[in-house]
This record gives sequence, structure tokens and C-alpha cells, in this order.
Amino acid sequence: MTPDSVPRLARGCRLSEDPSQGWVLLIPEGILRLSGPGPRILQRCDGSRTLGDIVRELGEEFAAGDPARVEADTAAFLERLCERRIIVLE
Amino acid sequence: MTPRPQALIAEVTHRCPLHCVYCSNPLAMQPRGDEIPGEAWARIFREAAELGVLHVHLTGGEPCARQDLGELVAAGRAANLYTNLITSGIGLSEQRLDALIDAGLDHLQLSFQDSEEEPANEFAGTRAHARKLALAEVVRGRRVAFTLNAVVHRQNIARLESIIAMAERLGVDRLEIANVQYYGWALENRERLMPTRRQMADSVALVEAHRQRLKGRMRIDFVPPDYYARYPKACMGGWGRALMVIDPAGRVLPCHAAGVIPDLTFENAQARPLRWIWEESAAFQRFRGEDWMPEPCRGCDRRHEDFGGCRCQAFLVAGNASATDPVCSLAPDRKLVDAVIEQINSAGAHEPGWVYRIDPV
Repeated sequence: MTPDSVPRLARGCRLSEDPSQGWVLLIPEGILRLSGPGPRILQRCDGSRTLGDIVRELGEEFAAGDPARVEADTAAFLERLCERRIIVLE
Repeated sequence: MTPRPQALIAEVTHRCPLHCVYCSNPLAMQPRGDEIPGEAWARIFREAAELGVLHVHLTGGEPCARQDLGELVAAGRAANLYTNLITSGIGLSEQRLDALIDAGLDHLQLSFQDSEEEPANEFAGTRAHARKLALAEVVRGRRVAFTLNAVVHRQNIARLESIIAMAERLGVDRLEIANVQYYGWALENRERLMPTRRQMADSVALVEAHRQRLKGRMRIDFVPPDYYARYPKACMGGWGRALMVIDPAGRVLPCHAAGVIPDLTFENAQARPLRWIWEESAAFQRFRGEDWMPEPCRGCDRRHEDFGGCRCQAFLVAGNASATDPVCSLAPDRKLVDAVIEQINSAGAHEPGWVYRIDPV
């Protein structure tokens, strides 16, 4: 994954916020409970933003420390989801 | 505290145009006249969501046999549930598929009996294979998660590689390779369905190689057959712990096959609140937690992982629903499973005729 990659949620994978359960990612045959920056990253995986855009927006929103670290952590998170075909790259 | 259920398996009808020799439906099916109406399902979905359920699996029989399937999908989404359709594809035209997707269908799971037409039609007891292929070509272009479910057994597992190639060609997101488990109609055909030890070892290695090759492109889930396992599966994620099944007549069961256990009474979701059935009813309490467990389960560290295995299998194989799952290598009744395996693996294993699933009246 590079800063120019455009990640989006695969078809049939969607975010849901439930008053009693918090943020969950609903996927075929399962759920992932999300915490930390997970929901904010995935909300931006809409097929219009690059990884670079997403990292920049997260930084603007939270002044989230070292940009290189934010990019590495975000890419690692999304790559794990790519392996499970929850995120696909445009 | 009672655990929260995660998924509801809604058997909306037992009617089906297929007659698969390993159908997981019970031998005693609910007739059409006893099917509960769509409004009742919509209310059940709302009650389930309030209980914590996140997924609804619409299954059957063949759910497309219900004319109001679109309303059932819409009701699932309206209750904020992730809505999955488990279908043979028969009765699902392109127009109807689009209507279901417009109604909010998240995931479609299409079953295949084989990669080759003739044996596929033989196992299904009807000419369905070509129609499934045609439907799959349509689904691949739609915005719905697409799983191909292939049921494997002794008569088709030699074609596992061509089944994986078929799934790749059809562009599915996920391939579920499910070995037959021996309940319902499959138990009637066990002698002819159970794979050999050699087939098992080969298929496990083959699946792992293709899983690595296809990583990120197509997910492969593999369900091994219980009889060849060393330890039992966490059946239903534990009795009354993660899942519930509601049959076409509205009866709420802890497991698809639980109807075989003789002394259980299943409450009806039309007569009682779903929360009460889940939390309080005798059937859900019967094997919940650990109090029911015999030795060696009671003192076994694995009880937190497998919850004692499958109660229906204990009844079907050992004649006692409270026994340790006989597939467990530690079970006193493991010899019963070993005897079946030995017979299957002996030279000249018997090949009886098929017992086909019949439709409910």
C-alpha cells in the first residue's frame, strides 16, 4: 500500500454505530468491534480518498503526532483488512 | 449474566425445489400452512436487534420460495441487521435479485453441489447447476457481498481444485468449502458421503495452498468434518450463547438440529417475547454454561473453547444429549465414531443408493 492507494470498504462490508454496542464493522459471517481511530479511518475509505488524504485528514482532526507514524499505523491497519478482503484498493 | 446473541438464523420456509442428499433441515419439516407471516418475522427481527443480534441469515429450505422475501430483507435492514441470504439461486431472477439488493441485502451466499454439471444435479436431485452458474454471472456485477458455498464429501472432494477454480472464475469474494456434517438428511446418507482419511489430508493441504495464493483476492473458509477432528467444534458458538435458529413456524431453537433431542420443548416467538425465550426458556437453559457437563468436559481446559461440542451429535451418535461430544478424542463414546471411520476407510466401502430430501407437505 502506498500513499496513492485508494482504499474502500469491500461490497457487503459496512460500518454501523449502535447505541449499546458502539462502532462495529459488519462483514459476511462476522463482526469486528472497532476502537480508537478505526471508525474514523474506515469512514474515509469511500473510494474517493487516497491513503495520503486519509492520513492528512486524521492529522488535521486530531493533531495526531508524527505524520510518518500515523501513516504507517493506518497502512498496517488497512493492509490487515485487505488480506481479509474487507478493504479493497481501487 | 446471560450472553447476548450475535446472529439469528431465520429458516423462513422448509419448502425447496432441491432435494440435496445432505440437506441440514430436520427430517420432520414444517409444512407451508404453518409458516409465520412476514409481519411476524419483522417483529422478531426488531426483538432480536434489541437483544443484541447483529446478523440475520435468511435461509430455508429455499427462502426464494416465499413471495414476500423482499419484505423480509427490508425488515431485516429496517431493524439495523446485517442481512444475508442463503440460497440455491432457484427462483431468483435478475429482477428479483435487484429488488432484494434495493431492499438492503448485504450478502448473498449461493450454494453449489459440484463444479461439474452431472454430479451436481445428481446430488441436488434436480437440474439446478446451469441455472446457478447463470445467476452467479449476474451477482458478480452487483453491489452485494458474494459467497459461493460448496458442500464437499466423498463423491466430489476429488474435484476440490476445480471447485476452487470455478469460484475464482465466478469472481466471488469468499468461498466457503463446507464438509458435510452428519445431521438430518446427511445422516441418512452417511455411508456414501463420508470422505476417506486420505481425501481429508489431501483436501486440507490443497485448501491451505490455494488460500495463500488467493490472499486478498478471495477468502477461503474451510469447514472440516467433525468425525475426523481431534476435538469437537464449538457448536453454534456454545449452546444459547451466540446464535438462535427460528424455524418456519416460529419455534425458537438453540441449533438447527435440536429438534432431534427428545425431551426439549421449543417456545414459539409468536407466543412469547424473544428475550424471555433466549434468557429464560428451558430449552435455552438446558445446556447453557457448564453445569450440565459430564466428565471429562467438566475438568477439561478446552471447555471454554468448545463449550462441550455438539449436543445433537451426542444424541445422534451416543443416544445421550448430555454425553461428551463423541467426536472428541477424550470422549468415552469416541469408539462409536472410530467404528464409522474404519468402515468408510476399509476396502470396498458400501455405496448404498441416495436418500433424497423430500419437500414438506
